[in-house]
Amino acid sequence: MIQSEFISLIQSRGAKLMPITSLNAITVVNANLQEIRASMLPAFLLQLYQSCFGITLGSACIFGPTEINRGIKYPLPSIITINQDIRGNKNVFGKTVFGRNDLFWFATDALGKCYMLDNLTLSVLRVYDDPYRAMIDCLIVGKI
Amino acid sequence: MQLSENSAKDKLAAFGMDDMPVVEYTPKHCIIDKDWFNKYYALRRQFLLSLTDSFEEIAFMNLSQDEFMGLISGKITPENTSVRLRIPLIWGGKLSIDNMFMCLTFPHSQKLDEFIIGQSDARTVFLPNPKKKIYVTTHLAGGGAGGNAASDRLTAAVINYASSRSNE
Repeated sequence: MIQSEFISLIQSRGAKLMPITSLNAITVVNANLQEIRASMLPAFLLQLYQSCFGITLGSACIFGPTEINRGIKYPLPSIITINQDIRGNKNVFGKTVFGRNDLFWFATDALGKCYMLDNLTLSVLRVYDDPYRAMIDCLIVGKI
Repeated sequence: MQLSENSAKDKLAAFGMDDMPVVEYTPKHCIIDKDWFNKYYALRRQFLLSLTDSFEEIAFMNLSQDEFMGLISGKITPENTSVRLRIPLIWGGKLSIDNMFMCLTFPHSQKLDEFIIGQSDARTVFLPNPKKKIYVTTHLAGGGAGGNAASDRLTAAVINYASSRSNE
């Protein structure tokens, strides 16, 4: 699967793509993630952030490099905020959490391998070689 | 980290949920049925349909008209709302409506995840256990006396709104 196919698929399911605000934010994200021993952004997320700064589908979301204002709804936090809040947890050393739904969190390492994490302990439940498959699994639970 | 009831409540207060009741629970590691997701999916819809008795709390969730109608008809989970299990399945919780509650994804559900993750190596854990099916902070809830047989003005407004939609 390639990014355009992924975006087309999730938009057909009702996902909302968050607008890009400032591309400089991506550089700041990498510096912040390194500081908290998370992984730097892998190629698939860098590519995604060229198209949008986050995705939401119901209760599921992919975090973007900046906080997203959603009007009367609570803002969508940035990927930095999420990872700073859980820094120090040994289960996510070397990984960056990039998405969540009501049942699972999703993380990636610097090489783009993705992980489905238990939302109670952050232990790894499933490993994905295809990041788009992981993002689809993350978002689709928000649809129900 | 093993918390006491007071430290658990302090931690929740730091997350802006000082009115969230907690229950102490000893996790029992259980084997989950293979078809748990299908059962969860069906039950979640039933839970959403059961929220017709929670108009007052729904009114504080900043939903659009379409989201409101989609929610109470069990068709959608609106953006930024989460359905959580009071006792997680893997720790011995049951798949039942009584074991579910709804809250805002951000900030509440995200912070509740972090609250539980912080206790992942503890012998007993404190789990959030709101009194009603929908958790909204008391900073938001409230309202004066209502009319039309409703207990407060907000409930009256929601009932009027829902009945006007059903007449369309």
